[in-house]
Amino acid sequence: MVEQTPVQVFRSQEKMGRFTSPAFYLKIAILAAFIITPFLFPSFKSLDLVLKIMIFAVLVASFDILLGYTGILSFGHVMFFGIGAYSVALLLGKFGEPTYAFLFLGFVIAILVTTALALLISFLSLRVKAIFFAMVTLAIAEFAIILATKLSSFTGGEDGIIMSTPGIFKVSFNMGSFMGVDITGRVITYYFILVICLILFMLMARFIQSPLGRVMQAIRDNEPRAEALGYKTFVFKATSICFGCLVSTIVGGLYVMWVGYANPESVLGVPIMLDVLLMVIIGGMGTLYGALAGAAFLRLAYTFLPDLQSLAQDLLPNLHFVHTMMERWLLIFGILFILVVFFFPKGIIGTIQNYLKTRKAV
Amino acid sequence: MADSNAPPIIETRDLTIRFGGHVAVDNVNFSLQPFTLKSIIGPNGAGKTTFFNMLTGQYKPSQGSVLFKGRDITGLSPAQRTKLGMGRSFQLTNIFPELTVLENVRVAVQSREGFGFNFWRNFRHFSHTEDEAYATLQEVFLDGKWRATSAELTHGEKRKLEIAILLALKPEILFLDEPTAGMSQEEVPAILEMLGKIKDVRDRTLLLVEHKMDMIMSLSDTIMVLQEGRLIADGEPEEIYKSEAVQEAYLGGGTVRD
Repeated sequence: MVEQTPVQVFRSQEKMGRFTSPAFYLKIAILAAFIITPFLFPSFKSLDLVLKIMIFAVLVASFDILLGYTGILSFGHVMFFGIGAYSVALLLGKFGEPTYAFLFLGFVIAILVTTALALLISFLSLRVKAIFFAMVTLAIAEFAIILATKLSSFTGGEDGIIMSTPGIFKVSFNMGSFMGVDITGRVITYYFILVICLILFMLMARFIQSPLGRVMQAIRDNEPRAEALGYKTFVFKATSICFGCLVSTIVGGLYVMWVGYANPESVLGVPIMLDVLLMVIIGGMGTLYGALAGAAFLRLAYTFLPDLQSLAQDLLPNLHFVHTMMERWLLIFGILFILVVFFFPKGIIGTIQNYLKTRKAV
Repeated sequence: MADSNAPPIIETRDLTIRFGGHVAVDNVNFSLQPFTLKSIIGPNGAGKTTFFNMLTGQYKPSQGSVLFKGRDITGLSPAQRTKLGMGRSFQLTNIFPELTVLENVRVAVQSREGFGFNFWRNFRHFSHTEDEAYATLQEVFLDGKWRATSAELTHGEKRKLEIAILLALKPEILFLDEPTAGMSQEEVPAILEMLGKIKDVRDRTLLLVEHKMDMIMSLSDTIMVLQEGRLIADGEPEEIYKSEAVQEAYLGGGTVRD
C-alpha cells in the first residue's frame, strides 16, 4: 500500500466522521425539534412561528447562494418569492373550489415564470458591475410591487388574494387524533411544507458542494482569475441566479399554502427583502446553515420582543421608564442586532466556524 | 539540454509594436526550444513585459507574427492561447483569496478536466482532482500549507500558489512575469529552487521575464537581452555574461537593479 498523502488521510477521516461529528448530531437535533413541535406545542402560534422560521431559512439560504456563494447582490430575490406566492394563490383562489391540480399547476407556472424572468435578468444585467446589478434588480422588484398593486382585477390590488387549500391541506380537514394531537389539515400542511423545505435545503447543500458550486465560490473570490482558468463565468452566474430564484419561488408557494393569502405587503414588499438581508448577515454569509440561525433569530425576536412590554408590566409594575422602553421593542431589536454584529462579525455561524477552524489549527 | 534541432515551441517573426510614435518592441525574431528555460532580461523600459504580452495575447503587435508550434497565433485572444497550452503568470498575484490553498489548485484541475458544469454530484466524488492538486502543490513546495486559506499565505507563498495553479492547467509552455517581484530576500531562493525543479523535469518549456540578472544566470538554458525594444543578444548564459553589448546595456545605457 502506498503511503497516503495528508489530503487522502483527511478525506477518509472526514468520510468516517460524517455520521459521528457534533455538527451532524446538531442537525439531527434541529430536525427532530421541527418534527416534534406539533406534538409538544400544538397551538397555532407556535406552529406558525416554527414553520415560518423554516420557510425563511430556506428563502435566506437561497439568497445566500447568490450573495454568499456567487457574490451577486440581488434586491429582487423576494420578488421571486412573491411570484411563487401569487401564482399559487391565484390558481387556488380565483378558479372556484381549490383542487390538487390547481395547486400543482400553481407551482409549475411559478417555476416557468421564474426561470424565464431569472434568465432575462441575467442576460440583461449580469454583465454590468455588481452595484448596478443590485440597482437593476431593485428597480424590477419595485415594478413587480406596482404591478401587483395596480392590476387589482387580477391580483386583488392592496388586499391581495385570499384562498384556501385543497383536500387534506384544508384547515377544516381532520383525520383523527394521534398521540393526543388532532391531525388536522394544518398539521398535514406543516409536515408537507417541512418536508419540501428539507428537500430544498438538501438540494442547496448539495449544490454548493458540487463541482459547479465550487466554481461559483471561485468566481465570487476572483472572477477574472476564474475566467482565465477557462470557465465561462457568465454561464455559471446565470445558473446560480436561476437556481436561487427557483428555490425562492417554490418557498413562496409554500408560504401562501400556510398563511392562506398573498398581498404585496406580505410577499413582495421591500421590508421582507430587508428581513432577508438581516437574516443572512446575522446568520453569516456563505455558510448556508447561517440562514437557519438568522431566520430563527429574527422570527423569535419579532414574536417575543413585543411581549416584553406586558412582561415588564407584570414584573416591574412601578417602573414606567422600563415600560416605555419595552413598548419601543424595535429599539431593543436594534441593540440586539448591533450586539450580534459586534460579537459575531461574520454572522453567528460564520464566526463559530472560524473559531473552530483556528482552534483546530492551534 | 533538449534536442536543439527540435522544432521551436514558440517563435516570433519581426515582432514590432508601436504606441503612438514610440516603438516599444522593434523587429524581434526569437525562437524557443521545447523543454528549456529561457529568461528575458534587460534594463527598465526595455520592452520585456510588452514583448511578453504580445506572446500571450494581451497586446496585438503592430507588425510581425507569433507562432506556437509552427501555427500562427497572432490573432488569438489570451483565453484561446490558454486553451492551446500557454500558461501565464502576472506580476501581481492572482489567486482566489477565500478558498483554501488546495481548492485554488483543484479548481484549476477541474477546469482542465472540463466537468465544471456538474451541479449534482458532490465534489468529493472527484477526489482524484484533489490528489492531483496536492501533487502539484508538492511540486512548488507548498504542500505543507494545503489546508490554509490562501489569503493567509505570505507573498512568496502566494506566488508559488499562483504557479501551482498554472501548472495544474498542464500548459506546454509557462510564461512567468518576474516570479520574484516584490519578494523578500529570504523568499527568493525558494522560488529559484522551485523553478529549477520544474525545469529539471524537462516536460515543460519556461520563459521568464526577470530584472535581476544574477539570479537567473545559473537557472537559464538560454538568455535573451532586450534593450530599447531591440534584441541585442540571445545565447547561453556564459556568452551573455561576456557579451560587451550586454555589459554596455546594463552599465552604460540602463540601470542595474540590485
